[in-house]
Amino acid sequence: MEAIPLSPQFDVSEEELSRARLYRLLSRLLGAPADDELLLFLRSLKGDDSPLGQGLAALSGVADRLSVEEVAQEFNDLFIGVIKGELLPYGSHYLTGFLNEKPLAELRDAMSELGIARSDAASETEDHIASLFEIMHGMIMGDYGKPVSLADQFKFFKDHVETWSIKFFEDLEAAKSARLFMSVGLIGRLFMEIEGEAFKIAA
Amino acid sequence: MKNKKSKTSGARREFLKTATLGVGAAAVAGTLLKGDDAKANAPLKSLEGAGYSETEHVKKYYELARM
Repeated sequence: MEAIPLSPQFDVSEEELSRARLYRLLSRLLGAPADDELLLFLRSLKGDDSPLGQGLAALSGVADRLSVEEVAQEFNDLFIGVIKGELLPYGSHYLTGFLNEKPLAELRDAMSELGIARSDAASETEDHIASLFEIMHGMIMGDYGKPVSLADQFKFFKDHVETWSIKFFEDLEAAKSARLFMSVGLIGRLFMEIEGEAFKIAA
Repeated sequence: MKNKKSKTSGARREFLKTATLGVGAAAVAGTLLKGDDAKANAPLKSLEGAGYSETEHVKKYYELARM
């Protein structure tokens, strides 16, 4: 397959690209219900014998059995709900038990250091898991000017992502409404563990 | 792959290769880079509705990615 560079300006190694892709895929899955196209993509996923590979294969298998309507319903039950969803995928909630607390303020500071801000159109706060993963993706790919150094990525990851994301993905894996998202939870948890480990190797 | 300014250490690269690349990253790569990238905008728009923060940089980048 020919590689079409995600970001033409920067030379990002294949290993780092694979991280960016996973962040992007997870961000997309957690940010909005899957549409037909994404569901087709999920069905096409294959995995090898590694734990993450098996997670992807499982995700593909579940996606095969669900319709886009069922996936939308699941997303709604998990994250939207009538009053609220089963889970609240926000850093502040996970770290303090409340929304919009200090962790969000600290995240905003870190974002302004990176030169990024929430869009006016955004209705969710920046500490939503999908937003954090989009930021990780952007740092790797150089969306914010140029690729952010591994040391700075690590700092952001450690301060704002790793502190709660594994717990969140464990909850997702175990959530009552989770079918497709049971696999997403597994993949997310494994990926977070891999990230933590890889950063430590680099540091 | 070839020359890079990324200071990916050999150990980190090997680890990531085994842990993520070996996986279905090839599969993830294929469509996310091509199929999905061609459509990069659509997921983003929907994400935006869900609170996705689209910065000017990101917008610019997706414009670039579409070409």
